[in-house]
Amino acid sequence: MTCLHLVGAWVEGAAQGVGAGRIVGGWEYVWAAYGITWAAIVVYTTSLIMRLRSAQESEDPR
Amino acid sequence: MANRVRWAFLIVAIGMLVVGAYAALAWAPPDREMGDVQRIMYVHVPQLWMALLAMTLNFASSVIYLFRKSWKTDSLAEASAEVGVVFGAVGIALGSIWGRPTWGVWWAWDPRLTTAAILLVAYCGYLALRRFVDDPERRAVWSAVTAIVAYVDVPLIWFSVQWWRSLHQVQSSPRTVDPQMVLVLRWQSFAFLSLMIFYVWTRYLIAMAARRRELAMPAELSAPAPMQTSEVAR
Repeated sequence: MTCLHLVGAWVEGAAQGVGAGRIVGGWEYVWAAYGITWAAIVVYTTSLIMRLRSAQESEDPR
Repeated sequence: MANRVRWAFLIVAIGMLVVGAYAALAWAPPDREMGDVQRIMYVHVPQLWMALLAMTLNFASSVIYLFRKSWKTDSLAEASAEVGVVFGAVGIALGSIWGRPTWGVWWAWDPRLTTAAILLVAYCGYLALRRFVDDPERRAVWSAVTAIVAYVDVPLIWFSVQWWRSLHQVQSSPRTVDPQMVLVLRWQSFAFLSLMIFYVWTRYLIAMAARRRELAMPAELSAPAPMQTSEVAR
């Protein structure tokens, strides 16, 4: 009986635990993700604009 | 006019991304279990969607090239592959950052992550192939075939979370997610779509300029049979 009570309490505790755990903080990961995104956008956009300008200048040198 | 429309896509994208960043970081509610870390989703998911969309465009352009040989479709394939690799690389990096606080590891050989890594390697190989082959016509055919083979991985990525239930969560449905989260995710997706259109369009213009330089025959570029243009170029 004691064992059954123990198992019952464990199952009940486990059931309450589902969804109750929550990551606290972690903003440094969020800032890193958004920082990388914006850095990539700036770098790749600049790269494309410069490459297109260079290609157009080599086609039509003045 | 076309140039203005192209720039409009960039301006719209930047404007939407600024508003989207505020909405994602301050307006959308935190996740019940992941808390604020879940806010990474608003940049991770749309960028990987754009990567898959760009790869699909690359696949379609490659198939069309094999049937109707045109430098335009070859250039579009080149442009979409590079843009797909950029979005894919950033998306995977963000997934790794998200994985650290939620899974406890930066990387795991989960089916979704593994198939995404294979995709990135395959398309890097595709871009390397395009650089190594000098003959434009041979390069176009070889890279088109490579693109078709590489695309096999795209449906594997999409369905991997359903076929092999592992660490990565399955696709969420708007019915099971907070409406504010769905709205921000859709907003960000359209922002990245606008950015992707600008990227592919600009990269396409660069690729077409390169083709014209290689063939040194601007007037012949729109000809349906590239055999004629390359033969004259030789």
